[in-house]
Amino acid sequence: MMPFSTGEIFTRKFIVTSSVYQGFIRTFEDRNPLHTDKDYATSMGFKDIVMHGNILNGFISYFIGECLPSKNVIIHSQEINFSGPVYMGDILTFEAKVDSIHESVNAVTFDFIFRNELNKKVAKGCFQIGVL
Amino acid sequence: MTDAEIILKEINEIFIDVLDNDAIVLTTETTSDDIEDWDSLTHIQLVVAIEKHFKLKFTAQEIRSWSNVGEMIEAIINKSKTAI
Repeated sequence: MMPFSTGEIFTRKFIVTSSVYQGFIRTFEDRNPLHTDKDYATSMGFKDIVMHGNILNGFISYFIGECLPSKNVIIHSQEINFSGPVYMGDILTFEAKVDSIHESVNAVTFDFIFRNELNKKVAKGCFQIGVL
Repeated sequence: MTDAEIILKEINEIFIDVLDNDAIVLTTETTSDDIEDWDSLTHIQLVVAIEKHFKLKFTAQEIRSWSNVGEMIEAIINKSKTAI
């Protein structure tokens, strides 16, 4: 029996802290000026340095691995589209909705969306997990 | 064009998309041995895509019984009839 039902919604808040940002740079060494140079970022039209979009993928990984009703899960696929900048300290609301359940292959697909405190969508996408 | 031929054409597109291989040309005799990258993980992706496309749900037993694409098509036709 799948521990999910179609249409079920899960929400979680994530904060892009300095620790997350520094950890991402330390781990992956992406020091593109958009992410590290405030003057450069503002000259490009942003209000501050922009957080790496793939930090959000880290939040998704945490959500799937730690926040779902079952820990017996594996990620099959993940797709994300970025639609707005995320800045240091932003509090993001993540919402994932069960799109479809495929018991024949123990797979579940989700649609997700990240919104900032202004309720502006900053990213959306989908992922598929396998239930082990 | 028969129902089976239409479904074959549609699942051919699904295979091309999921396996990211424009060269795939399925026949009813095609098996996983004939297509590179059709492994246990991509099989899951294929089944999910097929179930979504045809708005059908199979059982694990049904899927395990398929030995080639022809049997997959047959199952889709039978399920479609049951769904109506």
